[in-house]
Amino acid sequence: MNLVPWSLWLLIASPVCAILAVFFFVRPRKPQWSHWPILGSCALVCLAATDLTSRVYAGMVLDVPVAIWMLGGDWYLPFGFRVDGLGTAVLLMVAWVGALIQVYASGYMKHDPGFSRFVLLFHLFYLAMIGLLVSNNFVQLYLFWELVGVCSYFLIGFWYQKESARRAALQAFLANRVGDFGLMLAVLLLMAMTHGNTSFSSVFRLLPAAPTEMVTLAAFLVFWAATAKSAQFPLYFWLPDAMEGPTPVSALMHAATMVTAGIFLLVRAWPLISSIELLPQLIGWVGAATAIGAGLVACAKTDLKRVLAYSTVSHLGIMAFALGFGETAPAVFHLLTHGFFKAVLFLCVGNIAHALGKASVGVDETGGLAAKMPLTFGCFTAAALSLAGLWPFAGFYSKDSILDAAFHQGGLQAAAGVAIAFLSSFYIFRMLFLSFLGPRREQRGPGHAHEGEPVLGIPVFFLSLGAVGAGWLSGPLSRLLASGWMLRTGMSPVPDWTWNGLFASQACALAGVGAAYFLTTLRPQWDWDWRRRFPRVERLLESDFGWKPTVAAFSALVVEAAGMFSRGWDTRLWDGLVESTADWAKRGGERAASLATGQLNDYLWWMLAGTTGLLYLVLR
Amino acid sequence: MTLSIWGVSVLLFLAGLAMVVLRRQLLAMLLGLELMINSVNIALVYTGSLWADAEALSAALLILAIAAAEVVVGLSLILKLNGAGAPVDSSGLSELKG
Amino acid sequence: MTLGWLSLAWMLPALFGAAAMMAGARARGVALWGSGLTLSLWFVLGWTYGLEGVESLSESGPVLAWGIRYALFTDGLSWSLCGLTAFLTLLSLLSSWRLRVSAAYWACFLWLEAALMGVFLARDLFLFYVFWEATLIPMFFIIGLWGSENRRHAAMKFFLFTFFGSLFLLLGLLGLVSENHRMTGGWNWDMAALTGPDGGMGLAIFLALILGFGVKVPIVPFHAWLPDAHTEAPAAGSVMLAGVMLKMGVYGILRVAIPAFPKLAWDLLPWLGLLAAVNVIYGAICAMAQSDLKRLVAYSSVSHLGFCLLGVFSRTPEGLTGGSLQLINHGLSTGALFLLVGFLYERAHRRGLADFGDLASRAPWMTLFFSIAIFSSIGLPGLNGFVGEFMSLAGMTRVFAGLAVAGVLGVALSAAYALPAYQAVFWREPGPGSVSAQVGDLDGREKAILWALTVLMFAIGLYPKPWLEMIWSAMQGLQL
Repeated sequence: MNLVPWSLWLLIASPVCAILAVFFFVRPRKPQWSHWPILGSCALVCLAATDLTSRVYAGMVLDVPVAIWMLGGDWYLPFGFRVDGLGTAVLLMVAWVGALIQVYASGYMKHDPGFSRFVLLFHLFYLAMIGLLVSNNFVQLYLFWELVGVCSYFLIGFWYQKESARRAALQAFLANRVGDFGLMLAVLLLMAMTHGNTSFSSVFRLLPAAPTEMVTLAAFLVFWAATAKSAQFPLYFWLPDAMEGPTPVSALMHAATMVTAGIFLLVRAWPLISSIELLPQLIGWVGAATAIGAGLVACAKTDLKRVLAYSTVSHLGIMAFALGFGETAPAVFHLLTHGFFKAVLFLCVGNIAHALGKASVGVDETGGLAAKMPLTFGCFTAAALSLAGLWPFAGFYSKDSILDAAFHQGGLQAAAGVAIAFLSSFYIFRMLFLSFLGPRREQRGPGHAHEGEPVLGIPVFFLSLGAVGAGWLSGPLSRLLASGWMLRTGMSPVPDWTWNGLFASQACALAGVGAAYFLTTLRPQWDWDWRRRFPRVERLLESDFGWKPTVAAFSALVVEAAGMFSRGWDTRLWDGLVESTADWAKRGGERAASLATGQLNDYLWWMLAGTTGLLYLVLR
Repeated sequence: MTLSIWGVSVLLFLAGLAMVVLRRQLLAMLLGLELMINSVNIALVYTGSLWADAEALSAALLILAIAAAEVVVGLSLILKLNGAGAPVDSSGLSELKG
Repeated sequence: MTLGWLSLAWMLPALFGAAAMMAGARARGVALWGSGLTLSLWFVLGWTYGLEGVESLSESGPVLAWGIRYALFTDGLSWSLCGLTAFLTLLSLLSSWRLRVSAAYWACFLWLEAALMGVFLARDLFLFYVFWEATLIPMFFIIGLWGSENRRHAAMKFFLFTFFGSLFLLLGLLGLVSENHRMTGGWNWDMAALTGPDGGMGLAIFLALILGFGVKVPIVPFHAWLPDAHTEAPAAGSVMLAGVMLKMGVYGILRVAIPAFPKLAWDLLPWLGLLAAVNVIYGAICAMAQSDLKRLVAYSSVSHLGFCLLGVFSRTPEGLTGGSLQLINHGLSTGALFLLVGFLYERAHRRGLADFGDLASRAPWMTLFFSIAIFSSIGLPGLNGFVGEFMSLAGMTRVFAGLAVAGVLGVALSAAYALPAYQAVFWREPGPGSVSAQVGDLDGREKAILWALTVLMFAIGLYPKPWLEMIWSAMQGLQL
């Protein structure tokens, strides 16, 4: 027990204490002060996460059970911590990015009537993700995995008065539940196969002795779970709609807490996944398809947050694409850099929305913001460059290592890599040019927009430092990730960039930027023109290549079928049958009653027959 | 001897039975009942005397008493019905009709 | 015959029930005292004797006739169910504190408590059956006299349907005892010592027992009484019905059916498990289609009891303990849901999903408690529901993975029925015929009731170890 360093306890205890303190003491008296204990807890969490990371960097790996959660006879489930390179690498990013977003949120949401509720849920969301990263067994991971889902449900539906928010929250939770089905079943199967073991280290050690078909099934189910949480095809559709929550929620969800959980799970379970033939390839292809499809859709979106949402889907696809080559380190690396630049992008959009006094902003309402909001413009540009993968920004290093692997594979994979690189730089720069340059004829222009208070600027500034510079840390990251990696073959480090890769990726990205510049600034009306000229194309992209209507039809079908089953079978047929027994009894009674004529002589005949029968029986 | 007495007893019994189930008049039905009881009594007395069985003969006396009691109850019911103006015919008494 | 503490546990509420009946206007105070004392007795006995000590409390009177005797005993399983009974009775009485009802209402609840205590404490099968049937009477009156519009019909249906089941139970018990007599030559009604015959007779008796207990659980397709009874009963009645009475069925299966026929239960495992899995899915699908809040919770009970059965039928340590813990969990979370629906009904006299909306801003405390209860009910880890569900499913996966798939599917489906209803009541803007305006937030008494339940939900969800140890010690004694 004394092996557990203080920072690990602090990491869990401080958010828990802060949440309890705010709920029981601050909220009833001074709800407008709710954020102070929370921000204090954020600071402690960052401190603890940094301390843990430095310990792991120095070689400490921790995998300890600390308490028993459930038990029945000789079967038991522990609570435990696993602190290793993978966990702390993501933890460090989550802690810092999440903390900065919370600082931002405490300013952004200050005037909302539900401020205190928001802050509490937001911190619980943060806590859930942190808990997920330091879990040492599958069931505990499932606990936090679900908790993340629930927090996201309440946060997406935070403005529950809006119909769209309600629908988005429900859709997000249900889609995640469909994924959780996979995770829970996988956990149960793994437990059954390994005699009740759940901790990652012992499960992976015992797997080779387990029946192959079951292991394969479990691995596929884990991937299924990841497609829901990390928004991959076919379960990605909840994420773009999850924009309905307040902007800081989107930032936290897309950058740090929620969607990273799926990729994290895949990497965490990599000893399981990689032991299955063809599964990594499948993950790669699903990732590529998601990345390209979502990238195309993002090019057509007009709502700024929606562009970013599809870009998240696309980037998660890139991470899965990397996993398809077995490149776990680059995938995690991209996860981290993506966390920084995506947080910046979202918060910048939040700033724009805040300046315009709206919850969400479409392209038509912006244009020419660069002059009015220089800090936001600068941060956005830095993050966009990072996202597009231009040297020397963070995104370049992580994306380049993935593209490099794709180019090495050649063929279709290389083509997919090129497409992804081009698309991501195109959509983000299209968005940048459309909202900050101009305004064009169709746009409303900047109006009286202005930079917000410092609390809305400073976190964004710090985050964009990360978006610029996080990529230079690939060496230390590789070393960090290697500690405590559970595959005996070790984790190959993030590859250094090569000149070939540099040229190829820069060419793709610059082509994207150029195309965006050409179509938004040199041909300023193009973005509105093509929609008029090719309505069918727009409809195709709006419906996510037909997948969204399919999902909607399917879920309507399920609801309809349940209704039909319940009303038709349960109520009408079965309950009707049960209810009708009374009628049957009554009708039978009436039929039998007609025998009782009231005529004395008839009764006597019956009596005679009965006596005769009895006599016969006795004398026989 | 045995055969003729039993024959008489059975004949009387069947006659009584026929009166009970076929006739609708309550008095006749009561008479039929009496006939049945007494026909059984004849058989009982005869069979009891064959073995000089005192218990059987006292049972015959008991049956006589029961038959008398039954006549009292039956006749008073019929009288009561007659006094209330109801028919003394069983087909009119159908309150038990289901 | 000397009466011990266990006798007091059921006689105390019975006597207080009689006192409440005669107390007239002060009946509710008497009833509250009675249930409070019973709960304290439960607590004090458990505290002073400890887990093993409680088992030493058993009582056994002389044989009355044919081996029937007055015999009580207890162990971790029945003791925790007694605690649930006492706790939920107290909360039910508190929740109906403001109702203007006659003294008989309060007396009925205490008599119900007494009968339920008797069911969980009885050792003699005859006594068990007497208590089993005795629970029907107060519940029949609770539904029939103080229910909502369609109460008479629901009460009659409840009574006839469960009585129909009880007849099979009686047949099974008589068969069990008489076959035992045939084999050993002695009359024995001790539920802990009876073993059933083999062959066709054994199968018949086992099926009769499963049918008898199954109507109470309820096992689909014998669930038809449940939605009506739950919907029409007063809120406190639904709490007792779902919270405790349904548990009698599973308790009986655990206590009587499986120990008497261990081999048969093992041979029939796929079929029994299939029944349980059907329960899980069937309940969830029907709940999805309900538009009445109470009916929805009622159908969700069908689904949840399926989890208990999955665990119990798996007969692994984790399945048995998890399934039994789920009995208590379901009592707490469904109890909380029924109470909340009852509070809504008390304020607005409606329970339809379409009758409400936007309660989150009108009644924040109600929203908070409802959210916690509903997430506990759909198995959010960290709350109590998950522990029982997960352990049951873990047990079933080990012996029959295919059925566990259905169980996990049920977990996924639970969100699909619970959350749309939650949103309709608490989030959606009120429709034209809405009665949301009449709904005020919870007052202190109501909050106290729900805090008690919520604290237990968190406690069992995060630290279920004491409960699980208590139940496991009982399971070891059962020779399952």
